[in-house]
Amino acid sequence: MKPRRIIEVGLPRLLAWCLLGFLFVPILVVIPVALTDRDYLSLPQDGVSMQHFAALADWSKGWLPSMLTSAGIALACAAIATALGVAFAVGAWAAGGWWPSLMRILLLSPMIVPPIIYAVGMVKLWARLSLLDSYTGVVLVHVVLALPLTVLAIGASLSNLDQRLVQAARSLGARPMTVFGKVILPNIVPGVAAGALLAFVASWDEITVTLFITGRAVVTLPRRIWTSIQDAVDPALAAIATVLLVVTVLALVARALIEHRQQRQKF
Amino acid sequence: MALLVIDDLAKTYDKVTALTGINLSVEAGEFVTLLGPSGSGKTTLLMSLAGFTTPSKGTIRLDGKDITHVDPEDRNFGFVFQGYALFPHLTVANNIAFSLRVRKWEKARIATRVSEMLSLVGLDNLAERKPRELSGGQQQRVAIARALAFGPRILLLDEPLSALDRMLRETMQKELKRLHRETGVTFVYVTHDQEEAIAMSDRIAVFNHGRIVEIGPPRDLYKKPSTRFVAGFLGENNFLSGHRADDDATKVEAFGTRFGFPLAKGRERPGDSLTVWVRPEDIRIGQATGDEIGFRATVVENAFVGALERILLRTATGEQMVATLRSEAAVAAVPGQIIDCRIDPSAIGVLPNEASGS
Repeated sequence: MKPRRIIEVGLPRLLAWCLLGFLFVPILVVIPVALTDRDYLSLPQDGVSMQHFAALADWSKGWLPSMLTSAGIALACAAIATALGVAFAVGAWAAGGWWPSLMRILLLSPMIVPPIIYAVGMVKLWARLSLLDSYTGVVLVHVVLALPLTVLAIGASLSNLDQRLVQAARSLGARPMTVFGKVILPNIVPGVAAGALLAFVASWDEITVTLFITGRAVVTLPRRIWTSIQDAVDPALAAIATVLLVVTVLALVARALIEHRQQRQKF
Repeated sequence: MALLVIDDLAKTYDKVTALTGINLSVEAGEFVTLLGPSGSGKTTLLMSLAGFTTPSKGTIRLDGKDITHVDPEDRNFGFVFQGYALFPHLTVANNIAFSLRVRKWEKARIATRVSEMLSLVGLDNLAERKPRELSGGQQQRVAIARALAFGPRILLLDEPLSALDRMLRETMQKELKRLHRETGVTFVYVTHDQEEAIAMSDRIAVFNHGRIVEIGPPRDLYKKPSTRFVAGFLGENNFLSGHRADDDATKVEAFGTRFGFPLAKGRERPGDSLTVWVRPEDIRIGQATGDEIGFRATVVENAFVGALERILLRTATGEQMVATLRSEAAVAAVPGQIIDCRIDPSAIGVLPNEASGS
């Protein structure tokens, strides 16, 4: 390779790979650690072992119940945040004007306010409403945090939709609810799906606010991990991290597929 | 009784008046065009007819029944949008079937109707395509078929041809005329393109500043406009300043000549200034004979524009006017030459100068 080519092409490429490595190696290192045969965080020494994955599956160790708790909360949160997100985004889209813009800014505020501040406020409020350490309480908080994500995803889908489709459908005899069901909804399915996925993930790994408003009764997965780090450094942690990694990668792939379909629909 | 009667309709947005004092009646089976520059109120009126805009004042009656505040879905009016607004998630056939499904027609009847509509607009082989797979002209046809499928009382069209290129636009004009003839549906058509309006309409309502300036068949509006606005908006026109002859109330003096013209009674005093208009195609070259109006003018420019020559003349009063002539008639029009021109008196128009001077 000519020296000039090394500087112009080789060097940037090397830098790019270094950056990728910096980003991903620490994440990927959890995989061998999860397979360690020791009882502490370490790389496998005398061969790999699945014992820490087995521990995850052991109900009494508390990993499985917390996973189910998190999954349940995340599903409920995704369902509610998506329904509310659709209602808001479609309403704002159809109404137009300045006040939906104002409402949108208000709705996005959970993204702007630091979660720790929000958490402090929620503790006070939930204590008064007796929602501390309850499933309802956690789901409601997660819905608030996930709502900006669903509204943004669904709003993006709607921004590609011709407003006159509503008028067209009505001139053809469709009542407003029929317009929503037969015209608007089918056209924003990708955005709704993306929003639901984002809401699920947001709830699934939420820790800051959850730590404040839960105690013994509701133990989400992030909370369980948090507790275990404070007790001892158990390699099961690496095993759970591996599982989460796989789930996250799957979610990203799903999202990429949805976006790909969305792109194709435009052309 | 007229099918559709619009009575003293007005629409104000905050403090802006979009429409005011609109009176218009449309007969069943008519092709009426709302023509005007952008912002003249024609689209606001169409939106009011469709029920997408609520008028601030006045009534719209269909068969004598007040429909001013009826929901769009209960009006049974077809609507063809400027950008077609086809449902992107549905095939051509399902786009056309939409209004029929909403009306809960039986499956077999829907299928029959959809194939009827497809062949009406000549898209039989594209039934299963999605709108994004069609050309602009094809999408247009789908939009029209969709709006006609349920047998609307009136078809409202909002600048449906503006997105198409010139060639296609002319084809679609003929196509729309054919559909109008074959279906017998009443068309209310909005456009800012005067050629389109002239070519297609039974009657044209010319809009300006939220009002209807004139209504009439295209020929009448073109030949005998009663306002300066219509004289200038429909077709090409030359406007020249003139005045009443001092010595004769039936004579007008303009562009260096003098001719008889019955003036609107009582309005004109000796010397009053007037606007004289004459269409480019009505100016001929040669000595005036009989009762023709003759005048002399200098040829400024002679441009070949295809079928016709376009000649720019300067009159004795220093005003410019355009004449369009067939090439063989234009050989005498050499730039720099002073030539004799003639105009048939019936082709000339005289209008009082409007106070606003628009």
